[in-house]
Amino acid sequence: MAEPAPQEKGNASSVPKKESGSTAEPKIGVFVCHCGSNIAGVVDCGIVREAASKLPGVVVAKENKYTCSDLGQEEIIKAIKENGVDRVVVASCSPRLHEPTFRKCIQQAGLNPYLLHMVNIREQCSWVHTHQKHEATEKACDLVRMGVSKAAKLEPLEAREVPVEPTSLVIGGGVAGIQAALDLANMGFKVYMVESEPSIGGKMAMLDKTFPTGDCAICILAPKMVELSRHPNITLLSYSEVEEVKGYVGNFDVKVRRKPRYVIEKKCVGCGVCAEVCPVKVDNEFDLGFGQRRAIYVQFPQAVPLKYTVDKEHCLHFKSGKCLLCVKACTNEAIDHSMKDELVSLKVGTIIVATGYDTYEPMKKGVYKYWEYDNVITGLELERLLNASGPTGGHLIRPSDGKLPKRIAFIQCVGSRNKKIDRPYCSRVCCMYAIKNAQIIMEHEPETEIAVYYNDIRAFGKGFEELYHRIREDYAVEFIRGRPAKLAQDPVTKSITIRAEETLLNKITEREFDLVVLSVGLSPSEGTKKISKILGLTTSADGFLMEAHPKLRPVDTAMDGIYVAGCAQSPKDIPDSVAQAKAAASSAAAPMFAKKVTIEPLTASANEELCMGCGLCIELCPYGAPELVASAKGGMKAHIIEALCHGCGTCAASCPQKAIITRQFTDDQIYSEIQAALSENGKRILARKKAEAEAS
Amino acid sequence: MKDQEKEVEKVFIGGLHEELVADKVISEDQLVPDFPDQIRKYGGKDVMTCLQCGNCTGVCPISLKIDYKTRNIIKCCQFGLKKYTLGTNWVCATCYRCYEHCPADLNPAEVMIALRHIAVREGIIPPFIKTVATNVVKFGQSVKPDAGNDKIRRELGLGPTQSQDPEYHSVIREIQVLVHASKYDKLIGIQDEVKV
Repeated sequence: MAEPAPQEKGNASSVPKKESGSTAEPKIGVFVCHCGSNIAGVVDCGIVREAASKLPGVVVAKENKYTCSDLGQEEIIKAIKENGVDRVVVASCSPRLHEPTFRKCIQQAGLNPYLLHMVNIREQCSWVHTHQKHEATEKACDLVRMGVSKAAKLEPLEAREVPVEPTSLVIGGGVAGIQAALDLANMGFKVYMVESEPSIGGKMAMLDKTFPTGDCAICILAPKMVELSRHPNITLLSYSEVEEVKGYVGNFDVKVRRKPRYVIEKKCVGCGVCAEVCPVKVDNEFDLGFGQRRAIYVQFPQAVPLKYTVDKEHCLHFKSGKCLLCVKACTNEAIDHSMKDELVSLKVGTIIVATGYDTYEPMKKGVYKYWEYDNVITGLELERLLNASGPTGGHLIRPSDGKLPKRIAFIQCVGSRNKKIDRPYCSRVCCMYAIKNAQIIMEHEPETEIAVYYNDIRAFGKGFEELYHRIREDYAVEFIRGRPAKLAQDPVTKSITIRAEETLLNKITEREFDLVVLSVGLSPSEGTKKISKILGLTTSADGFLMEAHPKLRPVDTAMDGIYVAGCAQSPKDIPDSVAQAKAAASSAAAPMFAKKVTIEPLTASANEELCMGCGLCIELCPYGAPELVASAKGGMKAHIIEALCHGCGTCAASCPQKAIITRQFTDDQIYSEIQAALSENGKRILARKKAEAEAS
Repeated sequence: MKDQEKEVEKVFIGGLHEELVADKVISEDQLVPDFPDQIRKYGGKDVMTCLQCGNCTGVCPISLKIDYKTRNIIKCCQFGLKKYTLGTNWVCATCYRCYEHCPADLNPAEVMIALRHIAVREGIIPPFIKTVATNVVKFGQSVKPDAGNDKIRRELGLGPTQSQDPEYHSVIREIQVLVHASKYDKLIGIQDEVKV
């Protein structure tokens, strides 16, 4: 990878004046688009064109069926070349989609691309006034008049390019993060992977099998984890957390806090002698409290990196200053209880957020008595109980007495699709993991009776419906449509009676089960919440990270250069997480392959002469773009970091000295639009007022 | 054979088998298409948002004992089976347990209250409602004061009711004025009891 060129602190307004028409009278071309019948079906485009042609400065006024088509663009180019048009007004749709199209078009004709103004007469006119054709035409004329008056004051601008650091940061080492990191590393980019747990693997490492094919989760994940740790392009920072991110697309400065493991990673070989001698036993979080671990531990046998970690909270040495049995046992002298946190600074060009999910925690005083009855467990706990490397070696037991449960109930939609507890969304995986776990149990113990209490079964993926049918037909798992109303425990046998209305039978039934599994939904993880604050990412109402567009930009975020993958964005299964991770990796690779990104010049700029250094803009800016710098003439003056500026105009509107302007939205341009709006409208409003007064 | 038939019909629409046995099938003219809108008008939420999960039936202390099931009544409201629903709503104890559990946040208890509003306006008023309303306008309380009650009160160490108090009569009069002004007396059909 080539060394990126040093970033220039250029000013976009200093532009070569190759085609500026600011001195001579501007020649404006107006192109009114029919958009098929989208606009022309309501607005009389002929009248709009007529009115536009009479406006001052307009030399060409044309109509097109589709201005964005080849033919329409040809017409614009012709007008620029033959009629000497130097300002273009396109009256068509919202600039969101086609502004780049027309900018490219006029650039081809040799005009500065920012000498274009789009007037929205579709979304803001024809579509909202479908039944008021006359008024809509009047409004379109007004909008075009405003656009023309603004276009006359447009200034040429030059887009700026900044170099992109060809390095990526992947936050979160679950299956999505692992896949994204591997893809980017295989493309040849350097990748930093930050994981807060001692080992990568995420939630997928905890699962037993995967639906619908029944692959063993860790068997398909572990090779990827190992590949990641050995990849020459990937630096793995496990047991670390992102603390601070500054900068902008292509040039992020990241601070990562490496939590102390109290084991020197380079020296530890993962032999496990230390854990054998450690006298402390505590519940293993990875087994969700079912198994135990020592105070020096690896989370699970396939952990990557296979380095031991000292649990400071439980280690005897940190409590009493003694013990140190592990230190004596370790032949490589890898254990160092005096380790401290370490702050690592990284410079990266792009960031992929894959911070995953947490499972829903049932309510303390809820109907399903998760906290009161031993034999009510969650789906993830069942995964650990079924897992061959789990606390029971893959033997399913009842937590209350360690016996094999004969009758098992699954309760679906716990913490999902419930408006009452403000969790209205579907978690997408619970139906299928319950079905998959039912199948595994039936394969192990064909005599088991299994009932699934559900509302709707959502088996939407490839092979899901087939699995659902197989489990009903081959294994005779009973599916009961109804939401359980009450759970009661037998004080002696610890069996649990579920009362529910079986809505398809129209009966209230009470059935007894040995084990009840709550199919809990997915929530945004703590890490997702933290990282959204650090990176300034927006979240949707459910707390998951918001994508830039739900359909067309599903892995981008509102912040350029930051992408999202996996369950950090929304609940999804493993295939979807992997697909999204691959998409995020290719999206992140695009600017890194290009080695540069174009930054729009539609930013704010501060005038040093006028600025009095009050700092109001710094307080108001949502992007952290303004800064106060010491001026050569003395005093602190505002300076806008253009790469951070989104051109929202908040600073310009609030500046008491009018020292800040937003390019292409200068006061001069906006006032001329307002004047144009009022010139005809003003008369119309006065006439209407007069008529009203007479009528009353 | 006949029992089986009955069972089938009970399953079909649920709970309201008496009516269904009499009518056999639902015909078009029994459906009231804007029934959900009427329920909304009288303070109920939109019954069309019900997921039919049956949680309300499961927690309902009344549904456990009788054939009317909360979910079925809501289902009938969705259909627009006005005739069937209007006789059922008085059994609801408005304990609001269904409201606490409903994942669609529908509040079936308030749907029942809306159904009562509609029923009363349709003239479907059970006799006990008239009795209670009459007691309120005549005695200012829902239970009629009589010698028997006074005896029990004395035994429990409570004083007699205030019905002999002269102030009591002015309070009754105020109640009657209110009842008359709000046309409640006419609605329930107790205008003869109100003397304004």
